[in-house]
Formats: sequence, structure tokens, C-alpha cells
Amino acid sequence: MYVNDNCVGCGQCFAFCNQGAIEVFGKARINNLCTNCGICLTYCPLRAIEYVNKNGKGEI
Amino acid sequence: MKNGKKAVIIGSGLGGLLTGASLAKDGWSVEIYERLSLIGGRFSNIDYKGYQLTTGALHMVPNAPNGPLLTMLKRLGANVTVVPSDPLATIRNPLNPEDEDYKSGYKDIHYLDLTKHMSFKNKAWMAILTFCFNKKLINPGDKTFVTWFSKYIDDKRIVRYADSFAGWSLSLKADEVPATEMLQILENIVKYGGPAMIMGGCSSVISELVRIIESNGGKIYTNKEIVSVNISKGSVESITVRDSTMKDLIKKTSNDTEVKADLFISNIGHKETFDLYEKLPFSPDSGDENKEKEEFNLKYEKYINELKGLKASAGIKISFAADEQLIEHTGVLFTPYARRVCALNSITTIDPTMAPPGKHLIMSHQRVGLDKLDDIESEIELGLEDLKDLFSGKEIEILAVQVHHGEWPVNRCFSGYDIGNKTPYSNLYIVGDGAKGEGGIEIEGITLGVEKALSEINKLYN
Ligand SMILES: Cc1cc2nc3c(=O)[nH]c(=O)nc-3n(C[C@H](O)[C@H](O)[C@H](O)COP(=O)(O)OP(=O)(O)OC[C@H]3O[C@@H](n4cnc5c(N)ncnc54)[C@H](O)[C@@H]3O)c2cc1C
Ligand code: SF4
Ligand code: SF4
Repeated sequence: MYVNDNCVGCGQCFAFCNQGAIEVFGKARINNLCTNCGICLTYCPLRAIEYVNKNGKGEI
Repeated sequence: MKNGKKAVIIGSGLGGLLTGASLAKDGWSVEIYERLSLIGGRFSNIDYKGYQLTTGALHMVPNAPNGPLLTMLKRLGANVTVVPSDPLATIRNPLNPEDEDYKSGYKDIHYLDLTKHMSFKNKAWMAILTFCFNKKLINPGDKTFVTWFSKYIDDKRIVRYADSFAGWSLSLKADEVPATEMLQILENIVKYGGPAMIMGGCSSVISELVRIIESNGGKIYTNKEIVSVNISKGSVESITVRDSTMKDLIKKTSNDTEVKADLFISNIGHKETFDLYEKLPFSPDSGDENKEKEEFNLKYEKYINELKGLKASAGIKISFAADEQLIEHTGVLFTPYARRVCALNSITTIDPTMAPPGKHLIMSHQRVGLDKLDDIESEIELGLEDLKDLFSGKEIEILAVQVHHGEWPVNRCFSGYDIGNKTPYSNLYIVGDGAKGEGGIEIEGITLGVEKALSEINKLYN
């Protein structure tokens, strides 16, 4: 998962992450607890989270 | 009774749901499209370890019991319980009146005592100005609040109070608010009542609106994003809806459907809606083409100019927990001498179920100047330092720091500068905090705007 520059740090994503993988302090940061489950994608109002697979590539 | 007409609403924020509930009750066939998995926009609870945090709001209604929102909810048949603040507010002053911070202690005063420190002359001016505004004997024109007020009254403490009030209620400095808007807000507090907290928080309002919409045949679709507003012959013909489930977002698919309707309501702000316009702005196929086109173009250009002037306000909310209740009442605690924090309130003073047993949930709000957005971390640090000073010697646990600006702001349009609900297209209206009515703080302004849009719609379609 990759957080792009659209992120404003609204913190809407972090409470929905079951892994506790998102920290938000002015901007969201996703740490290595992330399992790429994708839940957070549907809660970000700015489409600031993008899917990037383990090889660092977005799935198309 | 169904009226045979269809209304489509972009976004399930408070403005969209209020409009949807009212139209559904009036017989419209209503469809609401929300791009996220969550309904309610910036007015929703988010459960975090048993604490009911929010996507935006502080679980507060600005004007209770008779304000625009509660009046509309009553009319719609929504069961929402609010607890009016008692007292409305207290103000935290430095213990030593000469101090500019709380380092040497503080003293809380009742809000009704806010003029107690003033000189006789200033008190007299305050009474005269209030009287004259109420009787419409003065008109501050387009002057901003502090600029206007300071012509008559020179009082630094009152300016601090005004800033903390404007910062809490509008996420602005008092001098960013037109004097007429601020005076209207103050008059509305007298007329309708002051703030109240909502039992169960923001989501209690949202779930009631959802119930009303659905029980009147309306539909709310989540994970469906509007990607374009399609225009033809000078009006909106349809919207394009794109599936935005988790799967779609991972695979970056574009499953699009076109949805037609008679009426289109957008809850996402003027600019954001404008960005979705597709196809020619005007292409009349009959009638007095040139004249119509000319008139339309003038309207269109005027609208674009108005859009350029819109600014969204920014703010930071810090939610924190404590074992003991640090706010001693159900109202707002204003902190005019803090570095950044404008005010705080605690939902657990009225509803203990909003936090785990034995815990309290408190929220602080601070305005962020638009010139400070590049250094947001410093702004957050200053807010956190304020909390340390305000509750020195107390254990607090920071639960969440949430920043709002830009496309997900505190307020899509600076209060007092709203441009109404209309767009260049007669069947497209904007609702929400980008199209508020005058003198309405936040959701009260949204409701005033919704009522205005509904009355226009009634005129047009009845
Ligand atoms: C920190 C903070 C504290 C606040 N405190 C209070 C308070 O205590 N009391 C109060 O009265 N107000 C408060 N407010 C203000 C209040 O929360 C907002 O004014 C209000 O919730 C905004 O509602 P809205 O109708 O404008 O819609 P929004 O909440 O903006 O909802 C718009 C919806 O549209 C959706 N959407 C966007 N684009 C699309 C698209 N292309 N397709 C489909 N859907 C889309 C979004 O996902 C969203 O759900 C606060 C705000 C903040 C940020
Ligand atoms: S993809 Fe899943 S695990 Fe990773 S941050 Fe998002 S919600 Fe958390
Ligand atoms: S929800 Fe989106 S914008 Fe908000 S903090 Fe998370 S990534 Fe950033």
C-alpha cells in the first residue's frame, strides 16, 4: 500500500485497519504490519491510498 | 404519494441525506450514490477501541433546541435526542489577568460573565451595537468582524474570545468572518439556543436519516463514485457512476453506468461538482439559439468567477481519553489563551457509552491558518503542548490527531462567503457545507442551505 500526496491526515483510514498498520500524524504512514488486505482503500475520502503489491507494483 | 419524478444525489453527507429524506417524503424517487464504504461523510462515528471518534464533527449541534437542523429533523420524523449544553460554555482565563497563557494557572468563568472585565464605556458600546444590529439600525457592510468591532471597542480580551469562538465554530479567525455573518450567528444563538451534544453522537442523526429515506422508498448505494456529470442542451442529463468497491480499487477497474434523472443534487461542493462537468456546457437544438446561448454564457462566466473566490477552512481535532472527566460540564470549554486549541468538549459528559467503561472521551478543536498548511506537524505539536498545559498533572491518552483541509476540510466554504445552491444548470443544485445559508454555524448552515434548495425545487417542479 502506498500513500500519495492527496493525503491530508484526516485519520479516517486508521480506525478501519484491523492490523493497526496505519499511523496518522499530519499524514498517514503505513508500516510493515500491513497485509495488503485493501480495506482502507474504501474509506479514504481523498483516494490517497493506492494498492501496491508486495513487489511494489499496482495490480492492474 | 409518488410524484413520478426521480432525483439523484451525489454523496451521502449530511446535506445529501437531509435533501434525500425530504424529497423521498415528498414523493420523489430518490437515489443516493456514495463513493466510500461509509455513509454520513464528515458527520459519522468511527469506532476505535470502543471510543466513538468521528470522521469530522465534535458530536455537536450548534443551535438547540430550536435551531434549523433540529427543526428539520423533527419535521422529517427523525428520533434524535440531544442534550443542550449546561452551561452553554465556560471560558478559561489565565489566573493572573496580566498573563497571556496558562503557565501560572487558570480561572474558568461562566460565558455570561464574558463582559465583566470590560470598562463601563466598552460595556455601553457593546449594548448599543447589539441593540442597533437587532433593530437593523446599523449595517457593518462588508467589514470583517474584528475590524468593524474595534472601531467602537478596544479590548484585547474580547478579541481573544471572538477568535476562540470563531475558531471553534467556523475554524476561522474572527477577522476572517464578515461582521454581518458573525452578528447573525450570535443572534441565532439567542433566537434558537446554543450548542447541544447528540446522544450516540453524529451517527444517530445519520442512521435516522437513512431510515427515513429507505422507509420512503429511497435507495442509498455505497461504493459507487460519480465520475462525471453529463450535460446536454443546457441542463444535466445524467451522471456516470463507477463501482468503487475494494476489488475495483485494487484492480483499478472502470465499471461505469449512466444514470438519468429529472433532478440532480450534489453534496460535494461547487468546485468539485464543476470539475465533473462533461460535454458541452451549452448546445441548444431549437429555439432562439443565439440569445439563449448568450444568456447562458453570461451566467456560466459569472459562476466560474464566483468559484474562484471560494476557500475551504482548515482545522485539527485531537481526540483523547482520560480516566477522570476533565471537562466539568456538558458545554464547551473555550481556551482563548491557548497557543492553538480554541475549545474542547466531551461527549461522555452526556453519553458514557461513547467510551469504554470508566473512560472519558474529549475532543479539542483548533483552527489552522491556510498559510500554515505546509508545516502542519508544528501546528499539531502546538495543539498537543496546549493540552499538556491545560491538563497539567493529569494523565491523558491521545487517541487520534485528525487534520482537515482542502477537499476534506472543516468547512468547504469560509462562513459568510457562500454562493448559494444554484449552478448554471436549472436541474442541478449544490447542498452541504459548500452551500450554507446565512448565519448558520456548520450543520445549521447546511440545513438552511438545504431548505433554500428545497424551496427552489418546489417552485420549479410543482
Ligand atoms: C474537525 C471537524 C469538526 C467539526 N465539528 C462540527 C460540530 O461539532 N458540529 C457541526 O455542526 N459541524 C461540525 N463540523 C462540520 C461538519 O462536520 C460538516 O460541515 C458536515 O459534516 C459536512 O457535510 P456535507 O453535507 O457538506 O457533506 P460531506 O460530509 O462533505 O459529505 C460528502 C459525501 O460525498 C461523498 N463524495 C465525494 N465525492 C463523491 C463522488 N464523486 N461520488 C460519490 N460520492 C462522493 C463523500 O465521500 C462524502 O461522504 C466539523 C468538521 C470538522 C472537520
Ligand atoms: S491494506 Fe489492510 S492491513 Fe494494510 S493498511 Fe490498509 S487496512 Fe491496514
Ligand atoms: S483517510 Fe486518506 S487522507 Fe485521510 S489520513 Fe488516511 S490516507 Fe490520508
